[in-house]
Amino acid sequence: MVGTPVLFVAIPLLAAFLIPLLGMIWKELVRIVPGLVLMYLMVLSINLLNHVLVSGPIVEVIAGWAPPFGINLVFSAFSGFLVTLMIFLGLVVWLYSYRFKRNVGFEPAKKYFLLLMMLITGAVGIVLTGDIFNMFVFIEITGISGYGLTAFYTGRDSAEASFKYLMLGSIASTLLLLAIMILYSQLGTLNMAEIASKIHTVNPTYKVISLILFISALGIEAEIFPLNGWAPDAYAEAPGPVGAAFAGIVVKASVYAIIRYIFTIFDISGAYSFLIIIGMMTLIIAETAAIRQDKLKRMLAYSSIGQMGLVLVAFGFGTEEGVFAALFLMLNHAIIKSLLFLSGSYLVYNSKDKKIVEVNGMHKFLPITSFLFALGAFAIVGLPPFAGFWSKLSVLTAAADSHMLFVLALVLIVSVIELVYYLRVVNRIYFFKKGENVDPKKPTFNALLAMIVLGALILVIGFYPDVITGVIHKASADLMDKTKYINDVLSIKQ
Amino acid sequence: MDSSLFQLLNYGVYGTAILVMLIGLYGALVKKSLLKVVIGLSVMESGLNLLIVALGYLKGGTAPIFSEGFLNGSNKIMVDPVPQALVLTAIVIGFGVTAVALSLVIRLYRHHGTLNIDEIRNLKW
Repeated sequence: MVGTPVLFVAIPLLAAFLIPLLGMIWKELVRIVPGLVLMYLMVLSINLLNHVLVSGPIVEVIAGWAPPFGINLVFSAFSGFLVTLMIFLGLVVWLYSYRFKRNVGFEPAKKYFLLLMMLITGAVGIVLTGDIFNMFVFIEITGISGYGLTAFYTGRDSAEASFKYLMLGSIASTLLLLAIMILYSQLGTLNMAEIASKIHTVNPTYKVISLILFISALGIEAEIFPLNGWAPDAYAEAPGPVGAAFAGIVVKASVYAIIRYIFTIFDISGAYSFLIIIGMMTLIIAETAAIRQDKLKRMLAYSSIGQMGLVLVAFGFGTEEGVFAALFLMLNHAIIKSLLFLSGSYLVYNSKDKKIVEVNGMHKFLPITSFLFALGAFAIVGLPPFAGFWSKLSVLTAAADSHMLFVLALVLIVSVIELVYYLRVVNRIYFFKKGENVDPKKPTFNALLAMIVLGALILVIGFYPDVITGVIHKASADLMDKTKYINDVLSIKQ
Repeated sequence: MDSSLFQLLNYGVYGTAILVMLIGLYGALVKKSLLKVVIGLSVMESGLNLLIVALGYLKGGTAPIFSEGFLNGSNKIMVDPVPQALVLTAIVIGFGVTAVALSLVIRLYRHHGTLNIDEIRNLKW
């Protein structure tokens, strides 16, 4: 063993608070330290994930209070897979924004990296924790750093987008705390494993109220329709890498929370059908909204919302195959959507309105960025041989195996809509004449490197899906086995 | 105190707390001034904190401090300490959110010269 799960929370949090102090010594440290921290955590998470896949989950007790009294962190195949994914995306976002596109002064850069570290701390904490109140605290950490990052640019409408996000976020946190207290008043415990083992004793009325409050609170963060009003604005007004961080890190953590509540904590079987219904609604409404957008980042934001809807549908099948499809989709969405945000942010770099029409003929000026954007667009639609094909295929087979042909048909129809609006953008990039007053900007070296890493990963997963499916299979088996989770946590004695 | 009266009082406290939360929610959703929206959010959080503390109260319970006075005293009932710890955390978080919200309000005011939501909102909802 080289480390323990608590380091995933402690180290980035410490780094976040040290960044302003280190900046006083040498300004460049503000940029270097987050990268070093994330690289260390990446190595640590891969090591721990390998360990966990072989010898079972690691349950870590914090401050010597054994569960159910103290807070515990659970690094299992499922949570470890998501943590590794998040840290990897954090690393890519760091690499991309090591040198900013714009000339940003030292002060804003310091705040940017500080908030990014806090965002990663919060998101990783949500996934690792085994205590519902602790999860609430981490959700708040993620939320507050998200508000700050959304308002990064002072010039644009970012303060409004941030305020909107903050309002919905605070209402969400109130609902979440209320749901936690309803459970606590019935069971007298905050430990997830113990709640899961006792939930059958709770009066169904309280159980349902609490679950509805949980889903509506977390649905705000996870961009579920009709609670996603903040998302398009926040994505459109925040800097490109922050959009990638939201799509890859924050939303993944919130979906994890919803799934943990439905699969492990509550034992309400109707919740699965509910997931399919809200997932389908989110998917259809977001994709039809995406086709009407004239701003590139808003279109990507709606597409991101739609993909999360599809993830919920796949989870809603309730079978191990469905969970496998959903996790595969989450992985692909994190990689591909980040690539689209990062490259799309260069395509509309110098335009004032960030309109889609302004990407016309960009391939002559930004050949690599345009190529990577096209690669991402093909991959997210699900064309073979890219990564997105395999995940969409597994969603469809899972739907067929659960005899949900209606869902299968709708997913295929929505895919056509998706194809239309992505190909429209790619068409403009390659076959339209460049507009008069558009002034493209060459990507910085580190940004190019970050995008190429993501692009290469799409191809690797596309051609050799076996490199990753083994891990996802184990992760989905881990999520489905509720009894094992309860036993693993509650058998710890200090 | 009579047991049924205590129960009644308990429901009274819960009801008040939920009423405070609803007043806050109303303020946050309906008011036109950004400052009033922020105040509404804070009021909603206060109502929730009140509810949490009330949930942990036991009839005749004393402060949850394990001390000489508690051991020698006649009253052996403590209130539940967990909700109180949770409320402390929630208050700190609420403070942080309010601070961020107010700083955003200041920025919006500098940018637009008004706090009226109708005049600011040019982002589609």
